[in-house]
Amino acid sequence: MALLDFLKKIEPDKKKSPFLHTLYDGFFTFAYTPNTVTSDGVHIRDGMDLKRTMVMVVLAMQLCYIFGSYNIGHQHFVAIGENTGLLEGFLLKIVYGLVKILPIFLVTHIVGLGIEFFYAAKKGHAIEEGFLVSGALIPLIMPPDIPLWILALSVTFAVIIGKEAFGGTGMNILNIALLARVFVFFAYPTTISGDEVWVAGLEACSGGAAVDYGFIETSIINPLFGWLGMSGFNEAATVVDGYTGATPLGLASKGGWDAVTAVYSTDQMWWGAIPGSIGETCKPFIIAGALLLVTIGIASWRVMLSMLMGAAFMAFALNLWGATPFMEVPWMYQFYMGSFFFAMAFMATDPVTAASTNTGKWIYGFLIGMVGMIVRVMNPAYPEGWMLAILFMNVFAPLIDHYVLESNINKRLKRA
Amino acid sequence: MELFNIFLKAAFVENLVLAYFLGMCSFLAVSKTVKTAFGLGLAVIFVLGITMPINWLITEYLLSETGIFGMDLTFLRLILFIAVIASMVQLVEMIIEKVSPALYTSLGIFLPLITVNCAILGGSLFMVSREYSFGESVAFGLGGGFGWFLAIIAIAAIREKIRYSAVPPGLRGLGMAFILTGLMGLAFMSLMGIDPAALMGTK
Repeated sequence: MALLDFLKKIEPDKKKSPFLHTLYDGFFTFAYTPNTVTSDGVHIRDGMDLKRTMVMVVLAMQLCYIFGSYNIGHQHFVAIGENTGLLEGFLLKIVYGLVKILPIFLVTHIVGLGIEFFYAAKKGHAIEEGFLVSGALIPLIMPPDIPLWILALSVTFAVIIGKEAFGGTGMNILNIALLARVFVFFAYPTTISGDEVWVAGLEACSGGAAVDYGFIETSIINPLFGWLGMSGFNEAATVVDGYTGATPLGLASKGGWDAVTAVYSTDQMWWGAIPGSIGETCKPFIIAGALLLVTIGIASWRVMLSMLMGAAFMAFALNLWGATPFMEVPWMYQFYMGSFFFAMAFMATDPVTAASTNTGKWIYGFLIGMVGMIVRVMNPAYPEGWMLAILFMNVFAPLIDHYVLESNINKRLKRA
Repeated sequence: MELFNIFLKAAFVENLVLAYFLGMCSFLAVSKTVKTAFGLGLAVIFVLGITMPINWLITEYLLSETGIFGMDLTFLRLILFIAVIASMVQLVEMIIEKVSPALYTSLGIFLPLITVNCAILGGSLFMVSREYSFGESVAFGLGGGFGWFLAIIAIAAIREKIRYSAVPPGLRGLGMAFILTGLMGLAFMSLMGIDPAALMGTK
């Protein structure tokens, strides 16, 4: 209880310094469940409050974080033809990944939480820790080389327009993390689409291009590794001949499944050693996170299952149509590519923006699956569909709920 | 199939409200509840679906050089289009007043104002500039109307939902509706660029 005593001692005066008190309150409730309970109305009282729920979601993402940061390094070394085995140069790869992911993580949180703290102090209520999950999600859905000022801008847009304008946590209509990504996608498309952006630290994704190491790699890590007697980053390395950095989806949209298997094996795609957004690649780890969320009852299995069914159904229908090579990709292999599982586990199940009735959830998930597959396969402008499909259905979720409720009311009126 | 493509494209890919931002005044004003939005949406589908083919006939047989008058009367296009739209709206108004007086009163001034709803005039002008055939203009009218209908009931459901949210006082009502329209436009951009016709052609 030493921590509790310490926290009690440093509690700032609420009247004298409201901003400091908000800050303090945010960290205090992070460490301990607050002592205050709602007194009027009927409420279920449970230790599993909003903050605890969000922490569980963040926990479910940790495997993606670990693999994601490792994969940043791995893809980089594959591109320059060093340590190409998955476990070779383990330490160097994870260090490189951390050098890339930590600034992204920090900028996201400093900007997002900063805005959140500001609004909490301004409106005079406790911090609504709604940014915990969005803040953990945003780094995972960005490419590793995203310029930090663009990231900061997109987080600002998403938090202010997407959330604070609607009145704060739990009231937003569109998923905050996806809104941040869609902002980058439409405002700075070259930083988040194409073949060039998914592998970190290269001047260009073509044979012979130089590597692009910053101050940290050359002046801190290399001397340190040298002192420890290990080999560091090779500053003279160049990209191997014939390397393009294309993602499986990029290949599939040009040449179908054959073009994909010529470069990547199915195992490789399933386990995630492919270029892509930071956290989306490793399917088994994402599924493990999804199972955790379903087991403790935070994410809705209805949304996940129906989204899987919708996507499978649409992919199968497109197989039958078969007008382009991409449509002919066997339907089950569509799941090996891109970010389907990540979107299913962490994005579509967001309880705030999803439909809230049970019937509504089935419809909502199924339509996400269908729309996402349509955008992925049939829209030549966009390589991947889940981000846009989920935003699209976020818009219609209140409408679905409205009609589900209406039909329930009518059913009961008839029965009475 | 061709007609179906045009319908889909007008409804989703090139949605009149969320891609072209046409017909905003009634879109923002009548979207407070799903019920009235539903009624107005149906009225717009009807008016678009009817005026489009009539206007097509007018451009083809009255205003063009090959028409009955034998001279180029396209300078009369705008005024004739508006006259047709106004009379159709009058028709819809009479029907709604007869069938559902409750809806009639809740729509109020916005029902006759469909006349100046730019989505409808815009639809007719798109039809002329894109040189649609008769069948295509019917499909475009119904598709555009359906897209408008979908957009207005979606925003109405959202606005019903955010009525319980702690929206900052300065943004309540119209301000929020504008932000919502922008965000919905962002979401609808997912389908922008899909060309069903091109997909058929590649086979």
